[in-house]
Amino acid sequence: MTAIAWQRRQAAARATWREFASQRGGLAGLIGLAVITLLAVLAPWVTDASGLDVTRVTARPWEPPSSSHWLGTDHNGRSVLLLTWWGTRISLVVGLAATVLSVLIGTVVGIAAAHFGGWVSAVLMRFTDFFLVLPSLVLAIALSTVLPRGLGTIVLAIGVTSWPATARLVRAQTLAVEARPFIERSRALGGGHGHVIGRHVLPAVLPLVFVNTTLTVASAIVAESTLSFLGLGDPTRVSWGSLLHAANMHGAVSQRAWWFLVPPGLGVVCVVLAFTLCGRALETVLNPRLKGER
Amino acid sequence: MSSLLELRDLSVHYRTARGEATAVRSVSLELEAGQTLGLAGESGCGKSTVAMSVLRLLPRNARVEGEVLLDGEDVQGMSWGRLRAVRWAAASVVFQGAMHALNPVHRVGEQIAEPMRLHGVTGSVSALLDQVELPARAARAYPHELSGGQKQRVMIAMALACEPRLVIADEPTTALDVVVQAQVLDVLKRLVSERGIGLVMISHDLSVLASTCDRLAVMRYGQVVEEGPAREVIASPTHPHTQALAAAFPTVGDPASRHVTPSEAPSDGPVLLRASGVRVSFGATEAVAGVDLEVRAGEIVALVGQSGSGKTTLARTLLGLQRPTAGRVLFEGVGLPRSASGLRAYRRQVQLVLQDPTSALNPRHSVYEAVAEGLRIHRVPGDEAARVAEALSQAELRPPELFFPSLPHELSGGQRQRVVIAGALALGPRLLIADEPVASLDASVRGEILALLLRLRRELGLAALVITHDLGLAWTIADRVAVMYQGELVEQGTVEQVLLSPRHDYTRTLLAAVPHDQRSTRPNWTNSP
Repeated sequence: MTAIAWQRRQAAARATWREFASQRGGLAGLIGLAVITLLAVLAPWVTDASGLDVTRVTARPWEPPSSSHWLGTDHNGRSVLLLTWWGTRISLVVGLAATVLSVLIGTVVGIAAAHFGGWVSAVLMRFTDFFLVLPSLVLAIALSTVLPRGLGTIVLAIGVTSWPATARLVRAQTLAVEARPFIERSRALGGGHGHVIGRHVLPAVLPLVFVNTTLTVASAIVAESTLSFLGLGDPTRVSWGSLLHAANMHGAVSQRAWWFLVPPGLGVVCVVLAFTLCGRALETVLNPRLKGER
Repeated sequence: MSSLLELRDLSVHYRTARGEATAVRSVSLELEAGQTLGLAGESGCGKSTVAMSVLRLLPRNARVEGEVLLDGEDVQGMSWGRLRAVRWAAASVVFQGAMHALNPVHRVGEQIAEPMRLHGVTGSVSALLDQVELPARAARAYPHELSGGQKQRVMIAMALACEPRLVIADEPTTALDVVVQAQVLDVLKRLVSERGIGLVMISHDLSVLASTCDRLAVMRYGQVVEEGPAREVIASPTHPHTQALAAAFPTVGDPASRHVTPSEAPSDGPVLLRASGVRVSFGATEAVAGVDLEVRAGEIVALVGQSGSGKTTLARTLLGLQRPTAGRVLFEGVGLPRSASGLRAYRRQVQLVLQDPTSALNPRHSVYEAVAEGLRIHRVPGDEAARVAEALSQAELRPPELFFPSLPHELSGGQRQRVVIAGALALGPRLLIADEPVASLDASVRGEILALLLRLRRELGLAALVITHDLGLAWTIADRVAVMYQGELVEQGTVEQVLLSPRHDYTRTLLAAVPHDQRSTRPNWTNSP
């Protein structure tokens, strides 16, 4: 019996993929993401990490792009191409980790608020509202100043401030699903909270959560860059935000060193664009209401 | 002199992703002024498509062949401006589902006046409201302030705004109660006779059409299978489909449509479920106001009442899904448990069948998963697949293995309801509580599902509490009837007692409101005003 269910799921997954692949924007985003992820993962093997060490550089500072340094050098003489390449790793890791944290909190809070209703819902939703009205950047800045500096802090700061929108969304969807009569039937069959949530609500809400995840990644990467640009990131690691921070601190603008400012900025734009394209395409596939004429 | 409306060899095809689907095949119909034409058929038979083609209201992917002549003029050939002038001024539509066809943010008076403004016709909204027997102050109301029947009458007033000669009513009473339905039908009948308009009435319910129409056309798979004077078509249907449709709406008092033999009804079985003094309030409103009800083992009890009478709340209370504010529910003499595990054990004894099988099944779960759900919840030992197969074949889905991998949307409405029933049967319950089990099913399937309930009672000794607004249904299968009105049981007793010699005024009102045809002699009861 499980074999049949498995076959059906495979068929459904294939159909979803076909529909996704038919959208050019989504496909372009996915290919872009794959390339960027591959580069980030392969960085330690393809490049020489010693180039990141200021004590071992040989080039002069503020060298313009040339055949030996394709994107020029920074104020310490390090290759900007290498820095940007390695920055991809941190940006992606922080973006994904913060998103997982944010979506997890949001989904749990949203489903719990909608499913249990009553005072549980009231308390959880007021809690959500509190985080929703708080300017998240200010909260994130406050958190990363108080907590010890490091990757974990950045992830926590972004994750804790970006979940309320997800919670609201998931709550609305859960309410819609729970109003359907098959939930009533499931209760009449004797199903408890765990059964109703696990078998009926979660599968119906997950597509929405999935779409939301891809869109949240984009904003988490921007948030990471913002925090690092403000100098609140992990100072020992290179990220796009910290590159922009360094460029700003050491006067890249007065040096007319555009090659130090543009690559990290473009990196952020490319990754965010790729994630957004994927997310929008997924949304169209998984949310039938957006398909337009049907 | 050409007739008011004439369809000549009309065919409508829809272009879909999977090629062209034909919704209507060469239909020819004719309607004179002052006449009522009934269009009967099940969902998907093309009756609404026919209606919409008259005013060219079909979606863009429709391709129309043949002619639609409105007062001798072909609608297909009209220019856009001419068509706009014709819409509403010459022919108007009473749309299905008044709840959704009115704009919730405008007062109904403005909405009735809208077609008059568009067509530059002068008229009075209050006069129109008067025609549909609504007070003039109703014009100031918003749609949510009106009841379903009032909204439907607003829709009719709107259709009459520009004094059209043809009105098309698409299922005008489907979502309404029997009492309200009778009122709306009376309004329509009176308008036809007083104003000499032509009325095309579309319904799946032959009894509604029988009481209003002069001529009747029965459609199936896009074709008219039978057409003739309404009385003849219903009294002596020739096509098997018409016969099935006619049989699905039994006449109260007609022995032929009663499917219970007196010997089958066990009147002395032990009491299975008893409600004593049950009250349920939501805030200030009392949905159930002190109900005493008994269901004996192997007995089928019908709980009859209008919508809003508290039937469903009572059912949920009996199932333990809603806690009563006062009173007790006893199963085999023991009060309903309050703990989660106690209630879970109770659920193996009493099961629920919901009204709309389409929404009662999770669209992502296969038939197998839907039926096995209860077994998995209760961790019933033994061979799961064998139990699922047994439940499915008890619900007459044979061979069961064929249905295992199907998803709900691949099944017909009747099959879906059978899956819901199989899901309940898998737990081996002793009582089924069925909330309007056939209300959302097509006429020809209704009889089969009711026969299934009767067979389950005969073979498994399964008792049932059937909640319905349809007195005909109660007449067909129930042993006893309880009539619910405003949260109270106003009358209960055997079917013959309650339906043939009702004592309470409300029961008489309900019975009088049932649309009746001249097929059988009506039982004798004194009608209260």
